[in-house]
Amino acid sequence: MALLKVKFDQKKRVKLAQGLWLMNWFSVLAGIIIFSLGLFLKIELRKRSDVMNNSESHFVPNSLIGMGLLSCVFNSLAGKICYDALDPAKYAKWKPWLKPYLAVCVLFNIALLLVTLCCFLMRSSLESTLAHGLKNGMKYYRDTDTPGRCFMKKTIDLLQIEFKCCGNNGFRDWFEIQWISNRYLDFSSKEVKDRIKSNVDGRYLVDGVPFSCCNPSSPRPCIQYQLTNNSAHYSYDHQTEELNLWVNGCRAALLSYYSSLMNSMGAVTLLVWLFEVTITIGLRYLHTALEGVSNPEDPECESEGWLLEKSVSETWKTFLESLKKLGKSNQVEAEGADAGQAPEAG
Amino acid sequence: MAPVLPLVLPLQPRIRLAQGLWLLSWLLALAGGLALLCSGHLLAQLWHLHTFLAPSCPFAALPHVALAAGAVALGTGLVGAGASRASLDAAQYPPWRKVLGPLLVVGTAGGGGLLVLALGLALALPGSLDTGLEEGLGTALAHYKDTEVPGHCHAKRLLDELQLKHHCCGRHGYKDWFGIQWVSSRYLDPNDQDVVDRIQSNVEGLYLIDSVPFSCCNPHSARPCLQSRLSEPHVHPLFDPRQPNLNLWAQGCHRVLLGHLQGLASMLGSMLAVTFLLQILVLLGLRYLQTALEGLGGVIDGEGETQGYLFPSGLKDMLKTAWRQGGVADRPAPEEAPPEEAPPKEGLPEA
Repeated sequence: MALLKVKFDQKKRVKLAQGLWLMNWFSVLAGIIIFSLGLFLKIELRKRSDVMNNSESHFVPNSLIGMGLLSCVFNSLAGKICYDALDPAKYAKWKPWLKPYLAVCVLFNIALLLVTLCCFLMRSSLESTLAHGLKNGMKYYRDTDTPGRCFMKKTIDLLQIEFKCCGNNGFRDWFEIQWISNRYLDFSSKEVKDRIKSNVDGRYLVDGVPFSCCNPSSPRPCIQYQLTNNSAHYSYDHQTEELNLWVNGCRAALLSYYSSLMNSMGAVTLLVWLFEVTITIGLRYLHTALEGVSNPEDPECESEGWLLEKSVSETWKTFLESLKKLGKSNQVEAEGADAGQAPEAG
Repeated sequence: MAPVLPLVLPLQPRIRLAQGLWLLSWLLALAGGLALLCSGHLLAQLWHLHTFLAPSCPFAALPHVALAAGAVALGTGLVGAGASRASLDAAQYPPWRKVLGPLLVVGTAGGGGLLVLALGLALALPGSLDTGLEEGLGTALAHYKDTEVPGHCHAKRLLDELQLKHHCCGRHGYKDWFGIQWVSSRYLDPNDQDVVDRIQSNVEGLYLIDSVPFSCCNPHSARPCLQSRLSEPHVHPLFDPRQPNLNLWAQGCHRVLLGHLQGLASMLGSMLAVTFLLQILVLLGLRYLQTALEGLGGVIDGEGETQGYLFPSGLKDMLKTAWRQGGVADRPAPEEAPPEEAPPKEGLPEA
């Protein structure tokens, strides 16, 4: 009992082949789109690798790039096959390759589905990378004289301005690190000496934030220093003031940006996967329909196309048996060789 | 009654004219599309910057006219491509015969006129940007503190975002901020002696300080941004007031915006010039093709030689005929063509 049998006459076969040819070329376009999406994601991750400790995983964009290229190759090949399918002479040279090619297509579709799932699941790994990277970035904010880390201040400032965020989880993260370099501190001042003595590590901690945390929508000029001291500023209450600084933490802001990027890419890849599955099914029908043409001299005759020759369980049984036979035939050969050698030795 | 600028067109040159015209028409459509996109982009930029441009500045007229000109050029290109394609096929040409005449008139008068106007504006208007920006930025700076005054409450946010995005500070430099009050009076403590002193120190009673807003800060600076007390060098260790370049943005917003908008206008102007050139070529080619095919009486495949021309007779005679027939142009053309073929051949050796 064949699986999902469909009758094909000449006209239907021709239409199937033409439709598949068109779909394959659209699929090549879709492959190019996936390639460029992967490239875009890779560039975006590279742009901010400074705040991710350079340890972010590039698995998703690399696999998207690979899948895009493979899809282009496979689909243009399938397009060529569909184009030749209408001509029996040309089709004859493709005939022996079609079954292994379909198997490869099925494997490719499974891989594409896995990549789509990865797009949606990468969020958690990115979160931990971002948390560590941002923490280190803020630690090195003041090291504008240290080679190798002198760009960190600029990176963090531009990040906070662009993503409208402040600190790792919020602006209070800046209170816990020394973000003003010792080079610009006046060590003869009493205030500086007091602050340095007030903590074990001898760091100059302030309740202030860099200028890039300021929110332009605030009605009053930005208050950056003495944020927890209400009396330092006129008509200021740090517990009710909301518009002065950015409220979001940069980890959450970056995470939501990358999540939305990868979710949309995952959605596009899913659509392309559905398209590819349709193409594979159509190609299988074309293959079996052309195989079923009983009389090669009469191209007008009807034939049947199916997905699997027998039902799923029977096909699986035959597949297992063929595997066993392969194993047994090796064994028989080995025994025959041993039996042949034994009488010689003996 | 000699035709203006006649050109003999046997079959092969006619076909080549049609093919070349097809290519030129698609190029014109592309150029028109690009001009459309350019003017759309300029329009979007002007919309974002409308607070910083004085309302009396006529610069906004340029992208509007360029948009119309680009659209007409795009239409002309598409029509030209269709007509030249149809002129190679005898079955497709008849419906084009009636439409081509009026289309050519619209294309020349409308399209050409719009393009010339747009080009003129692209050359003349950028000069008015200087005064427009001067006035607009001055108003924006003056209203920076008015975050509670309806109508001006967005000035602070927009100016901060402008300075952050375009990397500039003040109108011509950071010292512009020293001359205006940019801190709202609502956040000034009336009991603070320093505030009272500053307000009393000038005629208008403004609270002037030698500080700048945070959006002037340059992230590339090695030290945390110094915004306040910029005229007092002893307050900040290792700060050299003669070289504040790295600390704050060095450029004034006037120069940055002027360069930005003038660059966009010049790009649009060059796009329009290319489109204008292509439009002239396409319209000329279409006219020659049309008159040559009229000479054959609308039969495309005719092997005979015909003549293409710009105008059937001189300008004066044309106006007289147009006046007499009350503006109906196309009807007499096929009847007049055969008797005219004899006299124009005398005109050939002259041309």
